[in-house]
Amino acid sequence: MDTLQYLATGFGVALTPTNLAMAALGGLIGTIVGMLPGLGPINGVAILMPLAFALKLPPETALILLAAVYMGCEFGGRISSILLNVPGDAGAIMTAMDGYPMARKGLAGVALSISAWSSFVGSLVATIGIVLFAPLLAKWALAFGPAEYFALMCFAFACITGLMGDAPMKAVLAAVLGLSLSTVGLDSNSGVYRFTGGDVHLSDGIQFIVVVIGVFSVSEILLMLEQHHHSSAGLIRVTGRSMFTLREVAHTWWSTLRSSVVGFVVGVLPGAGATIASAMTYSMEKRIAGPGGTFGEGDIRGVAAPEAANNASAAGSFVPMLTLGVPGSGTTAVMVGALALYNITPGPALFTQNPTLVWGLIASLFVANAILLVINIPMVGVFTRMLALPNWILVPGILAISAVGVYSVHATTFDLLLMAGFGVVAFLLRKQGVPMAPLILGFVLGDMMEQNLRRALSITNGELGILFESPISVGLWVGAAAMVVVPQLLRLRRRRAQQPALA
Amino acid sequence: MSDRILGGVCVVLAAGMAWAAHDYAAPISYEPVGPRAFPLLLAGLLALSGAWLVVRPSAHANGLGLAQLKTLGLAAIAVFAYALLFETLGFTLATALMAVPVGMAFGGSLKHSLAAGAGLGLVLFLMFDKLLDVVLPTGLLAFVLGGR
Repeated sequence: MDTLQYLATGFGVALTPTNLAMAALGGLIGTIVGMLPGLGPINGVAILMPLAFALKLPPETALILLAAVYMGCEFGGRISSILLNVPGDAGAIMTAMDGYPMARKGLAGVALSISAWSSFVGSLVATIGIVLFAPLLAKWALAFGPAEYFALMCFAFACITGLMGDAPMKAVLAAVLGLSLSTVGLDSNSGVYRFTGGDVHLSDGIQFIVVVIGVFSVSEILLMLEQHHHSSAGLIRVTGRSMFTLREVAHTWWSTLRSSVVGFVVGVLPGAGATIASAMTYSMEKRIAGPGGTFGEGDIRGVAAPEAANNASAAGSFVPMLTLGVPGSGTTAVMVGALALYNITPGPALFTQNPTLVWGLIASLFVANAILLVINIPMVGVFTRMLALPNWILVPGILAISAVGVYSVHATTFDLLLMAGFGVVAFLLRKQGVPMAPLILGFVLGDMMEQNLRRALSITNGELGILFESPISVGLWVGAAAMVVVPQLLRLRRRRAQQPALA
Repeated sequence: MSDRILGGVCVVLAAGMAWAAHDYAAPISYEPVGPRAFPLLLAGLLALSGAWLVVRPSAHANGLGLAQLKTLGLAAIAVFAYALLFETLGFTLATALMAVPVGMAFGGSLKHSLAAGAGLGLVLFLMFDKLLDVVLPTGLLAFVLGGR
């Protein structure tokens, strides 16, 4: 009952003209960013975050804008997957498998509209999931003390490194680098300046915006330079029927719904994200369809399922961020950093202390989702024309806007140079296969992690036992260990299973 | 091979961190864990993961061609130059200048890139500084654009 009341308050916030306009603007920008190959949600949110702050938007409006960008990206990624066979963002990789074949058969319009529809359903299911589960989780998390928080953050790192592809050690390295960066500057407990080298510019720490823009905008540009000489050569023109039929909706309905639920669950888990969710549901639907399916040759369910999943997981990733204050993905980590600019620390207390912010955001997820459905079906032609925008305009534009964002915080050349430095270093690290999401997670969580560790150990006067005392923290440590060990074992087993086949 | 270099750099970095952090101490201490413990813990972890990469580097190679290296270097220099000149030249001029090498690296002709840069510099300046109230440096063009 309480929940419905809070939700009503939330809609009161989300439906004010400014916030409505921001949700629409965010959705529009997000769709474009998501559609452009090479740029994903984390880049879009990173580039817009400093601008939201510079424009002096109130915190809930800023968060609504960023959330709409995030959701918009998950909508937009499908467009280039279907029309170009190049995924617009990582979550849309699976959409290309059947989307592009459909487009080649002249069904591009149908693929685009049904995927917009399933994206909408995915987001809707996941947002309802947030409404149902987030308050419960927040209430439970209120009982967390510093020791439990420390264990929880270790769990989040274990998830993000355990699930991170073939090089878990590089993910650990990235997380430690991020944590180390967060220790630069004044230590508020003792008044000691750490790692500043006596430079006044570093005395209050490295600006979050500088790191994020360097890592996700400048280094992305350098990566694009090396990888994407993308041209609109393979672009398929949308012809024929552009709307799906009711029969097609009925045909894809259960795939969409199943994938939405799976996507939400995967999204809630820290570390797993849209990419894993869409890959999981694609193979799940392929198996369920059996020999009757034409997966890989333009099965409409192969378009609907991953799109529902990647949107659902994006919305699901708000759950750990809002309820625990511990972001589970790079994109939500950036949002936590954005809130920190407003001196707001997300966490379970936020639900009672700042309900307008939390519920305003949740309600605006519903609103943004509806807006996105509207702009993504009839206006898809406008977006496809933007795919033809040449990189020699786009890239200098991104760089200029990024610099504006960095400059707007402190107005120093030092920050701009630091941004360039981070960009080049991040590029070299990424070239070496070091993932950047753990780094940003480490940078965001670093201060909180250290504070909770110190607070926990203050209680027992330095005795480490407190970290493993309560059942909650023990459970989290066990979970963390499982997250590290199980994927390795699975990998080992798979390798064993493959070896006889090779020999 | 380059995993080894990365690991080695990390070990050196960790040593530097530990050396810098070893004498961080609170003048008046009222908690058991001071400002030194967490950085030292991180330095230890960094050294361990760096050492791991030195001992067990992954096989995948990702060599860059010489031509690629040249464009990449040029783009990186352009970004640094942009950062340095942002305040002195002002946003509009610096952006126009930056867009030439960056635009050309992305396949634009000299004429196109120059036009794109000039357009971006002017349009974005008007949008942010005049319309959205995000103050940007005017630099050399202060006499035309007003402001600092």
